[in-house]
Amino acid sequence: MTVREQVEAANKRVLDIFTKARPIWRDVRPAIEVIPGMQKNLVLIPGPPIAPENLPIPLKTAVSGAAVHEGLAKNLEEAWQMVLRGEIKVDAAQNYNCSNAASMATSASMPVFVVTDETSGGTGFCTIHPGASPRVLRWGIYGPDVEENLSWLRDEFGPILGEAVRKSGGIDLIALLSKTAGMGDENHNRQPASSMAMALALIPWMLEVDHPKVKENVAWLAANDRFSLQPLMAGIEGIMSAAKQVPYSTVMVGMGGNGIEFGIQVAATGNRWYTTKAPLILGTFLKPTTTKDDLLGYLGDSCVTEVWGLGGMGAIAGPTYAKLTGSTFEDARERTERARKVSLGEHSFDPVPWDGYRGTPVCVDVRKVVAYGVLPISHGGSGLKTGGQAGAGACELPLECFKKALIGVGEAVIR
Amino acid sequence: MNPEKALKLFRSPLVVVNVGPKSFATAIEKQGYETVQVDWKPLAGGDKQMQELLVVLGY
Repeated sequence: MTVREQVEAANKRVLDIFTKARPIWRDVRPAIEVIPGMQKNLVLIPGPPIAPENLPIPLKTAVSGAAVHEGLAKNLEEAWQMVLRGEIKVDAAQNYNCSNAASMATSASMPVFVVTDETSGGTGFCTIHPGASPRVLRWGIYGPDVEENLSWLRDEFGPILGEAVRKSGGIDLIALLSKTAGMGDENHNRQPASSMAMALALIPWMLEVDHPKVKENVAWLAANDRFSLQPLMAGIEGIMSAAKQVPYSTVMVGMGGNGIEFGIQVAATGNRWYTTKAPLILGTFLKPTTTKDDLLGYLGDSCVTEVWGLGGMGAIAGPTYAKLTGSTFEDARERTERARKVSLGEHSFDPVPWDGYRGTPVCVDVRKVVAYGVLPISHGGSGLKTGGQAGAGACELPLECFKKALIGVGEAVIR
Repeated sequence: MNPEKALKLFRSPLVVVNVGPKSFATAIEKQGYETVQVDWKPLAGGDKQMQELLVVLGY
C-alpha cells in the first residue's frame, strides 16, 4: 500500500471509531483509583504540557488549590513552591485520557466520571461540574468556600452519584444525545436538555442510595443545567484513547488550551501536541467593564466536544448559543458548514431538524484544514487573566497547529 | 467541433468565468456582461512544504 492508501484506510478506521462509539457512563471514582498513571503528587491541567513557571495565574491557583485540597501543602504559596521544586508534578490531562473544563485541575482524590466506549473499549475520565457559583476551582479561584465545594464533591456528592450510576447499570450517552437531538443543545456550552435527560435517568437511582442527604443532592443535580458536559467529556476521552492507537490517521483526536498555548493532537502521533499561542475566545462578557485586554488565551479541554463533532462543529444544533454570544442563526449555520468542509463524516445520532435532519460533522482531517485553509470553530467560555470567567463566545482554531501536525504526521509515516 | 454548435455558442449571451482577482470580473460587469467568480485559492495557501506533504499524504 502507498502512504496515501494507508492514510485513507486509517482515517476510515478512525471515522468508524468516532461514529460507532457507544460511551456508557459506568461509575464515579477517585482519580487515583481509576486514571492510569495518576499519582498522589500529580495534578492534571488542561491544554498542552507547559513548564510550571509559565502557568497563567488561574491555573497556578487551580494547581496550588488542588494540592492544598489533597493535603500536600498547608497553603497556596507552600503548594506553589513545591510545584516549582518538582515535588508536585503537573502534566496535561489529555495525555491520561482525562480532560479539564476551563481552568480546572484534577488531583488524586477528586471524584471523576468513568465512561467506557463499549465499541472500542476505551475509557475516559473527567471531574464533576461544580455548579453555578462563579467562585470555583475551574475558573482559577480557591478559598474556604471553594474548598468546601471540593470536599463536598469528594465526600458526599461524588460517592452518592457513583452508587446511583452503578445501581442504574450505566447511562448510555448516545441514547441520551439521541433523545435530546433537536432540543437546542450544541453540547459544549449549552446543554440544558441533555442535563435534564441525564437527571431524569439518574434521580430514581439516587433516591435508592442510603444516605441522609440524598434529597439535597438530588436538588443540586436537578439545578445544574451544565451537568452533562463532564460525563460527555469523559466519554469522548475514552473514544479518543482508541483513536490515538491508529497509526497513519490524519484525524484530530485532542485539543485544548492552558491560557498561554493552544494545541491539538492527531491520531497518527497519539499524545504528541502541536501548539501555538492560545487564541482569544470572543463573544460576550459577563460584566460591562471587561475588555479584550482582560482576557486570557484559550483555556480548557472542554473543546474535546468539538473534537467529537459537537459544540462549534455542530453550532447549528444550538443556535441560541450563537445568539447569546453576539452572533446569529446564520453564523451558527456557517460554523457547521465550514466544519463539514474539513470533516470526514457526520454523526447519525443527532439529526438537526432545521438543518435538513443532517447530523453534526465529525472527524476533522488536518489535511483538509491545511489544504483549504478552512478553520473549524470552537465555542468556549473565556477566562480572565486574574482568574474568574470573563464571558463566552467562539474562536477559530489556529492554522499553525494544523500545519505543525501535518509535519508531525509526515515525520511519523514517511520513511 | 460541430460548426453549428460553435455558431450557437458565439451567438449566445456572453458569460465570463473569472478565476482570479474579483476586480477583473467587476470591470467586465461594468461593461454590461454577466460574470461568474470562481472561489479559488492555491492549495495550502501556496505553502510549498505543505503542498509536498499533502501530495504524499493524499491531497
